[in-house]
Amino acid sequence: MDQRDADFNRRMLQTFRIEAEEHVRLFTAGLLELEKSSAGTDAGLIEKLFREVHSLKGAARSVNLRDIEALCQPAETIFSHLKSGRCRIEKELCSLLHATMDFVADQIVDLAAGRTAEARKRQKELIRQLKEAAEKLVQEQEANSSAPENSATGEPHSAVNQQPGDTELPEEPEINQDLQSPIDTYRVFTGQTVRIPVEKLDPLLFQAEEMVQMKVSLQQRLLEIREVRKLVEECRVNCLTQRSGSLKAEEMREIAEKLEMRLDDLSRRITAVSQTSDQDLRSMRRMVDEHLETMKSVLMLPATSLTEAFPKLIRDLCLYQGKDAEIHISGAEIEIDKRILEELKDPLVHLLRNCVDHGIEKPDCRKLNKKAEKGKICLELTTNESRQFVIALSDDGCGIDAAALIGKALKKGLISQGEAEKLDRESALALIFKSGLSTSPIITDISGRGLGLAIVQEKVEKLGGTIKVESRKDSGTTFRITLPMSLATFRGVLIEVNEAMFVIPTSYVEKTVRIKQNAIKTVEGRETVMLDGNVMSLTHLDQILDVRSATRERLLLKKTDSRQVFANLVILAAAGSRLALRVDRVVDELQVLVKTLGRQLSRVRNIAGATILGNGRLVPVIHVPDLVISAAMVQTRQKSGEMETAVDGRRILVAEDSITSRTLLKTILENAGFVVTTAVDGADAFSQARTGEFDLLVSDVDMPRMSGFELTARVRADKKLCEMPVVLVTALESREDRERGIDAGADAYIVKSSFDQSNLIEVINKLI
Amino acid sequence: MTEKSKLASAGDSSAVLKARAALLARESEQSAFKSAGFDTVVFALGGETYAFASEFVREVYPLKDYTVIPGLPAFILGIVNVRGQIVSVVDLRKFFGLPEKGLGELNKVIILRNNRMEFGIMADWILGSRRIYDEELQSSLLTINGLRADFLKGVTSDSLIVLDADRILNDPGMLIHQESAARPD
Repeated sequence: MDQRDADFNRRMLQTFRIEAEEHVRLFTAGLLELEKSSAGTDAGLIEKLFREVHSLKGAARSVNLRDIEALCQPAETIFSHLKSGRCRIEKELCSLLHATMDFVADQIVDLAAGRTAEARKRQKELIRQLKEAAEKLVQEQEANSSAPENSATGEPHSAVNQQPGDTELPEEPEINQDLQSPIDTYRVFTGQTVRIPVEKLDPLLFQAEEMVQMKVSLQQRLLEIREVRKLVEECRVNCLTQRSGSLKAEEMREIAEKLEMRLDDLSRRITAVSQTSDQDLRSMRRMVDEHLETMKSVLMLPATSLTEAFPKLIRDLCLYQGKDAEIHISGAEIEIDKRILEELKDPLVHLLRNCVDHGIEKPDCRKLNKKAEKGKICLELTTNESRQFVIALSDDGCGIDAAALIGKALKKGLISQGEAEKLDRESALALIFKSGLSTSPIITDISGRGLGLAIVQEKVEKLGGTIKVESRKDSGTTFRITLPMSLATFRGVLIEVNEAMFVIPTSYVEKTVRIKQNAIKTVEGRETVMLDGNVMSLTHLDQILDVRSATRERLLLKKTDSRQVFANLVILAAAGSRLALRVDRVVDELQVLVKTLGRQLSRVRNIAGATILGNGRLVPVIHVPDLVISAAMVQTRQKSGEMETAVDGRRILVAEDSITSRTLLKTILENAGFVVTTAVDGADAFSQARTGEFDLLVSDVDMPRMSGFELTARVRADKKLCEMPVVLVTALESREDRERGIDAGADAYIVKSSFDQSNLIEVINKLI
Repeated sequence: MTEKSKLASAGDSSAVLKARAALLARESEQSAFKSAGFDTVVFALGGETYAFASEFVREVYPLKDYTVIPGLPAFILGIVNVRGQIVSVVDLRKFFGLPEKGLGELNKVIILRNNRMEFGIMADWILGSRRIYDEELQSSLLTINGLRADFLKGVTSDSLIVLDADRILNDPGMLIHQESAARPD
């Protein structure tokens, strides 16, 4: 019973937390708006805020959180006074109310944890201040009007006539304490719950119900197919029994006629089943597609869920830094994939901190420069024609000093003197994304450590986006982030290199071209090609990634043919540089969903993640910015004369059904210099051996479709293949098996348990 | 895998069956131990028999296909698709630096996880589950094949090597985090 009570309590608190977060959020937004409205007396807003506090109080009471209730009580009183009109809300009072809500927000993060003594003290202090503020309002009202109004909720207090300054001053340092980490309070607003409008959920339920129909329908199909199977079985039994007796021609004809009728019946039934299955498939396809689309749209949330906390963040940051700025947000109603919004939170908060910390100047400084005292930060969200959205974050602050940036980069050794001279303005500003660079001469606890923007860039690129910066000294800075609307709408180019497949995000692909092999010229040991009037140096993807050992499933194409006449190039553009990549094959362009590589592989150079193809196969997705850097390294290496060694020409066919053993064998043999082709079973090996040219066959024994023994026998019996040496590698180690292998015509028999690399190579070298 | 069942009729699998039988036979004897003990998943890899505490085993998944990710250390075989989730697979023999004798079957992945880490471990066969009691574990035999002692919980008298899944999961060498290549000068 105790356990159940505890569970119930936990659930109640959880529900309260979600509700309270919502109240705090709406209250904070409302209060900011009220602050902004010049008069501070917007009756509608005050009413709204009053209700939020009131509901929060009620909710707290219902789960017996007296502490929170006790805080809401005086706050509510304040609003009931404000509501009765005639007094305006002062900036100090706003600060106090913000501080109260921040405190509540902090408390509800972990309701289970006990209250610290410090929190208790702070709470008492807040309640005291709130009560005093309420008192002050009553006095103001009395002064303003001859008709005194006694609030029902306000407790009578000794009417000591305090100066406004006396009440508010001691509180200042405490507020600052709270603001030391404005980012922490931000966390509250990003709970694990989302609000989804009912009209988006209804179709989901409807579609799910439709699928029940599909289930029933499939059951019916199965029944029909079983029926057909039964009939076939009957026919077969019939035939068998008839065969046993000797029959006259007359009887035979009769049976044949009967069978014919049955066959007709069967064929009718099968046609019917196949037709209805066809229909089923069609409606199923539509259903699943629709369902997927609806699901995606459910995951699309308005950007406001991300941006609504920003005004408060800016306000707190400004207060903490003694600056004055306001944020203008537009276009936040755009719906964006929830996963992207979540990933965007940290980078945007970081950029906002930078805006206030490095961008916006102190008010007196702004006055000197003839700017409005209040700084202006603009956050604009727009969509462009290619289903991407653009976030432009600009401030009218001091801008970035490009010369200072270059100087800093030189000092840190991030660039050389020669490079520095060649930099244009744009590339100079792009230096800001390098780690270790911050132009702010002082390090504050908000920013200035010079790591931030590198991380921002990395995050944005991980989402398949780009970030750019524009800035003019003394007039402001704009960061422009371009991102896909939905993770599912990534498009990728599927390519093949050395039998391994990769996906390159289409956003980085300028184009794919097929050129004649003889258009490739070698200049100073580097392969180059003329494209659109520019000379570009060629890079082989397999060299950058070192995929020589990364072999996969059997190749679908013989690479030697296409390689000699044509070369396939993928032209990439990233971070201002272009790269011509040589690949074996451009397979397709498709929609891909990029997944992370799991917890162990937190970051892999050149690889951004992986995607799952329609057939369930995993394909790595290239991290293009990384690749560009790696390519530059490979090119320098090539220049210094380090070239690939030519491979031995001997070709070996490996037949093995286990993927691991197959890959292991292939790797061992390739490392020994052989050209290896693989087959997944005996039948596959035989057909490949017939069509290709091989010097030797290495085969497993126990394989589906055709065993190694059978394969060996077939090879020996084939006119073309009979001379080819065969090595059997097997788990079967008995003498009989060994003899059977030799009988079938194998030249060598290696038992898996005693297998090691050198003896395999040794045996092969003896045979060819 | 059909290959598996075929093998069962051949000589090699009798060893597996024997091992399983031995496991089952032991189980009743062990209940005499005082300590509570813990459940393990027992598997064969490269001719040895190992066990992981079940609490760290998320599931066992057949290894049918995998994708190699270029540029990773050799002990990571690649990645597999486990019902839409990507899991990396580790070759323990390579990670431990054990000699690779024999060409195993390697057709199972044991997915290990704790609150911080998750990856798969390649295994030749799954032999079953077994309750291990602390009294059974000897720590004196720690130099088996040069295996690092801190990855071991101990070895039983029937030479079952009980590995410390938590330690292996938390080993800093297991986490791969590669930054972009350094710019050439």
